[in-house]
Amino acid sequence: MKQLYGSSELIEDVFDRDLCVGCGMCVDLCPYFKNYLGKTSQLFACDLEKGRCYAYCPKTEVDLGQLATAYWDRPYEGLPLGPYRKIAIARAGEKAPRGRFQGGGTVTALIAHALTTKRIDAAVLTGRDGAVGVPMVVTDPDDVSKASGSKFTASPTLAALNGAIRDGYANIGVVGTPCQITAVAQMRQNPLELKDFNDPVGLTVGLFCTWALDTRKLLPVVDECVGDACVLSMDVPPPPAEIMVIDTEEKQAQIPLSKIRPLVPLGCQLCPDMTSEWADVSVGQVEGMPGWNTLIVRTERGEQAVDQAIESGYLDVRDLPEENLQGLEKAGAGKKSRALEALAEKGGLNAQGAEGRLTLRMPPEAIANITAAKRG
Amino acid sequence: MVTTSLAADPYNMIITGVGGQGNVLASRIVGNALSDKGFHITIGETFGASQRGGSVMSHLRISTTSVLSPQIPKGKAHMVVALEPTEALRVLHQYGNRNTKMIMNTRPIYSVGVICGEYQYPAMEDVKRWGDQLTSASWLIDATDEAVKMGNAILGNVILIGALAAVGDFPLDKASFQDVITRTMPANKVDINLTAFEKGMEMVQQHAA
Amino acid sequence: MSIIGKAKEGERHLLMGNDAIARGIIEAGASVAAGYPGTPSSEIIENLAKAAKERNIYVEWSVNEKVAMEVAAAASFAGLRTVAVMKQVGVNVASDFMLHLSETGTRGGMILISCEDPGALSSGNEGESRPFAKLFEVPLLEPGDFQEAKDMTRWAFELSEKVRNLVMIRSVTRLSHASGNVTLGPLPDVVPHARFKFRGDEMDPDEGPVVTFPVAYRHTLMQTKLAQAVALFEDCPFNRYEGPEQPEVLIVTSSACYLYTKEAVDLLDVQDRVGVLKMGTTWPLPPKYMEKHLAKSKIIFTVEEVLPFMEDNVKILAAGLAERIGFKRFHGRGDGTLPAVNELNPDLVAAGLARILEMEYTAADPEYARLSEESAISGAPQRDLAFCAGCPHRASFWSLHNALEIDGREGFVCGDIGCYALGSRPTGFSVSKTGHAMGSGTGVASGFGKLGRFGMTQPVVSVCGDSTFFHAAMPALVNAVHTQSEMTMVVMDNSGTAMTGFQPHPGLTADAAGEEVPALDISDIARAMGANVDVADPFDLDTTQRKLLALLSKGGVNVLILKQACALSPEKKGKKLYNVTLDPAICLGENCGCNKLCTRVFKCPGLKWDSETKTAHIDELTCSGCGVCASICPSGAITKKEAV
Repeated sequence: MKQLYGSSELIEDVFDRDLCVGCGMCVDLCPYFKNYLGKTSQLFACDLEKGRCYAYCPKTEVDLGQLATAYWDRPYEGLPLGPYRKIAIARAGEKAPRGRFQGGGTVTALIAHALTTKRIDAAVLTGRDGAVGVPMVVTDPDDVSKASGSKFTASPTLAALNGAIRDGYANIGVVGTPCQITAVAQMRQNPLELKDFNDPVGLTVGLFCTWALDTRKLLPVVDECVGDACVLSMDVPPPPAEIMVIDTEEKQAQIPLSKIRPLVPLGCQLCPDMTSEWADVSVGQVEGMPGWNTLIVRTERGEQAVDQAIESGYLDVRDLPEENLQGLEKAGAGKKSRALEALAEKGGLNAQGAEGRLTLRMPPEAIANITAAKRG
Repeated sequence: MVTTSLAADPYNMIITGVGGQGNVLASRIVGNALSDKGFHITIGETFGASQRGGSVMSHLRISTTSVLSPQIPKGKAHMVVALEPTEALRVLHQYGNRNTKMIMNTRPIYSVGVICGEYQYPAMEDVKRWGDQLTSASWLIDATDEAVKMGNAILGNVILIGALAAVGDFPLDKASFQDVITRTMPANKVDINLTAFEKGMEMVQQHAA
Repeated sequence: MSIIGKAKEGERHLLMGNDAIARGIIEAGASVAAGYPGTPSSEIIENLAKAAKERNIYVEWSVNEKVAMEVAAAASFAGLRTVAVMKQVGVNVASDFMLHLSETGTRGGMILISCEDPGALSSGNEGESRPFAKLFEVPLLEPGDFQEAKDMTRWAFELSEKVRNLVMIRSVTRLSHASGNVTLGPLPDVVPHARFKFRGDEMDPDEGPVVTFPVAYRHTLMQTKLAQAVALFEDCPFNRYEGPEQPEVLIVTSSACYLYTKEAVDLLDVQDRVGVLKMGTTWPLPPKYMEKHLAKSKIIFTVEEVLPFMEDNVKILAAGLAERIGFKRFHGRGDGTLPAVNELNPDLVAAGLARILEMEYTAADPEYARLSEESAISGAPQRDLAFCAGCPHRASFWSLHNALEIDGREGFVCGDIGCYALGSRPTGFSVSKTGHAMGSGTGVASGFGKLGRFGMTQPVVSVCGDSTFFHAAMPALVNAVHTQSEMTMVVMDNSGTAMTGFQPHPGLTADAAGEEVPALDISDIARAMGANVDVADPFDLDTTQRKLLALLSKGGVNVLILKQACALSPEKKGKKLYNVTLDPAICLGENCGCNKLCTRVFKCPGLKWDSETKTAHIDELTCSGCGVCASICPSGAITKKEAV
């Protein structure tokens, strides 16, 4: 089990070591943590010995074995894409709302459908204010598409989850990156054994993510590139393009990836999860197939949500081509092994004692699998 | 010119409290009443930071002969009048001796350190015990509670002046008190202040009984 | 209600030192009084303002001390008696003019009253201004009790007219804010007529222009005037010797220290061994008078507060006189007989004197001290200075603190002088990281705001009050705009010079005497200077914080005016804006993730953590009904309803 501490240790372990990715899990849980332009800060010191902030944080100790037992009812094996029931390609069906989709609009379709069918009573999404990701709570299915499109910046989306819980929503849909889905998975375990706790999350849709960008570092780069023009969308086309494309109302601009890579937070480099393994459903792009998404269905309730969306015409689904699956697995395994190397270097893998406060925990078999996958 | 004798000459009294409790006004009322009777009065006041929650102290010195230092020498107070319990303890440590008398308002005013949990406010039993140990006579009076009943907590200071008059270490009486407040206060405040003064006298007399 | 302007000759009153000084000014028939508020000086101008109408005195709270001295000097140039009043740091502000005034000299009697604060009981420094008298070659007087405070003030005008120069009076907190019996003198019948005569020759002291040229001539004149003053000091009733003809120790003292000294001599019961030379004219010391008394003893003990000013001058005199009065042993602040910092009291003087006399002295009964130690330490928890309940500064600093933390670039506040100097302390959430003189916050911020070229990325905020804005922050703001600095200035406008007792300032519509005057609008001024200006109510935490955050990243020079009257202001005191209630059933107490935000962090004296119920609790008697805590409670346990 993860060891539990308070905010002073959170500051020491995560903030002071520059590991915070600004997922927003601690923001507005209490009055002390706030996020502004992507950066999370603690307003005042808090002397509580144990806090939700520490317990839910995806960058403090994370016990993958324990999460696997809880959510998958099986050990953590280090599979490149995590366990799943189905993998396919998908896009928004004709009934689904339209938007400025990055891929096929699958996330928009799934969430709009879940809201329409009352599977969830609110959805926590990430909107955009220029280059800055803005957390939002949506209850009207027609508003879901306002959050469409990849943000590429670390956004404090989960602050909106905390707000929605406080506002009394009890079946919340969460769309988030792997770190955010990990935080939510830890939260749903009620690690502090709070008496009045009821799992408030009705559906998690995880996004594929290899890295996000530090908002505050990105802003001046974007400014330099597009000036005051309002950013409408961002994209990183598949290799060998080596660029980030930014669309504004006035023009399309390109930034070389060499300028972008240094903006990746340290916390992202230590993350082993490319496909949001703790989500009910994971969604990402499909290489070589614009207008489609990769869809990974992981849990029973995820499967129900997808099946019903297909039935209702919200979602079109096709088989994932075998070569795409292989490519995806390679990428997933690559992220895992890179993270493991980085973690091992920092002593952040299965550490014990005092060092164990800040570590990723997984069974030795999983480590062996990841290492083998890299060799293979 | 001086009509009645003092328990000591000079008689040294400290009125202490927290900013905003009417400490300065109390020392001036007593000082004026005794000055009217021909005594030489010296009052030393520290009220620069009084409006910001600090401790406030007035040193009042009554003499038949001369002007004195506005600061009482350490250990030389004959009387400590405290608008706030912990301020009494603070003052006794510096200016008290075994023969010091004390009149204390029992209503605490918590310092910021206490409010935010950095310090613990002492238990009233301890305050009483220390008060007994450190004085030859003490009167603990719920002056603020009585003042609130009269409609304004600020009257606590006048209740203590009444108590002081009842202890009788120097010639302060209702008539001289009335003279001073008639001269220095708006006409509509005089009656309520007289009532408060009488209440204070009464509380000490009951204490004795 | 002031008796100062009405009471008749021969009446005996219990007066505060500042009341006595004010009465002395009135008895002298002064026509003009100008000052800037500052503890412990403010009551002098306040008292004069109350008597302004009936005594036909023009009284003003000037924008700062330099202007106050200039305003007062104009009256002197026009032949009237006049006074400038300030605290010790004010003399620093006025000092540039003071030097030049001493060069030109005065016509109508003019005095400067500096009320000083040994021990910094209500100051951010333990400065003193007596050395200015020496520096600018003007006579200095220091009253030793309450009667003298009045009499000496009155006499100072005569002295000024005799020597045709400014005369400085120095008081201290323990005199200005202490009270004693004073017998009053007559009120004059003055019919002042003001006319500035300038048609005479440049050298004509009565009818020529008042300019500092020719400098050498003027400087010589300054010294001649000082010599005249010394001659008068040789035979002055404010200097006296008390004690045996040949004392073992001669104590030279002045001001409130005279009262401590007398008491110390009594405490040690050494009246027959120690002589006390009480000096009222402390600069320049009259050499013949001093020679007579210094000759009395081999041991000279100077008792004074702050700098060893008189002690040094006594030593210089004694060195010159050594052939005639013999060698001396000197004690005082200089050699550690008295502590070199902080104010004195009878015990410290007695301890010093006992050491010189090789006597035993303990201030209080040691057994009692031991007995009372426990109660004093554990029974009397420290009472740190704090913003009052309902103080708008607490709300302003809350938003400043949060905005700076949320901004997350290690931003900081340059503090200034006023109640909000507590911005560096716990109830100001320790956001102020610099603190110096009036207006310095903005000047220092203007400098920080130019350091971007050297890699500084921290946002810089200055704070200042409304009175401070006019006093000294305006030039700093001009500087910031002109130099294209990057900073945000927060003006905490609480509608008065609140720290010193709500004296008016140029932003308000009433003057010192309560007459209607035009108010200058701070936002108009800042806008005209070219700053980007916004206004908010600090009690509206969300808006204030949002505006601050926007300004922190905006660039250029920004001014945010946070407008809300002081909780103790005459219009607000005792009136609650809201009835604030706390529902203990909703307060989650220790189970709330807020970890006692309202008490542990917000620290308003109106709130208290109830250790029995383990919930927060509102102290009705202390709460002033600002309602701000209702917007910080995350559980909504605190609610506010508009008070009727």
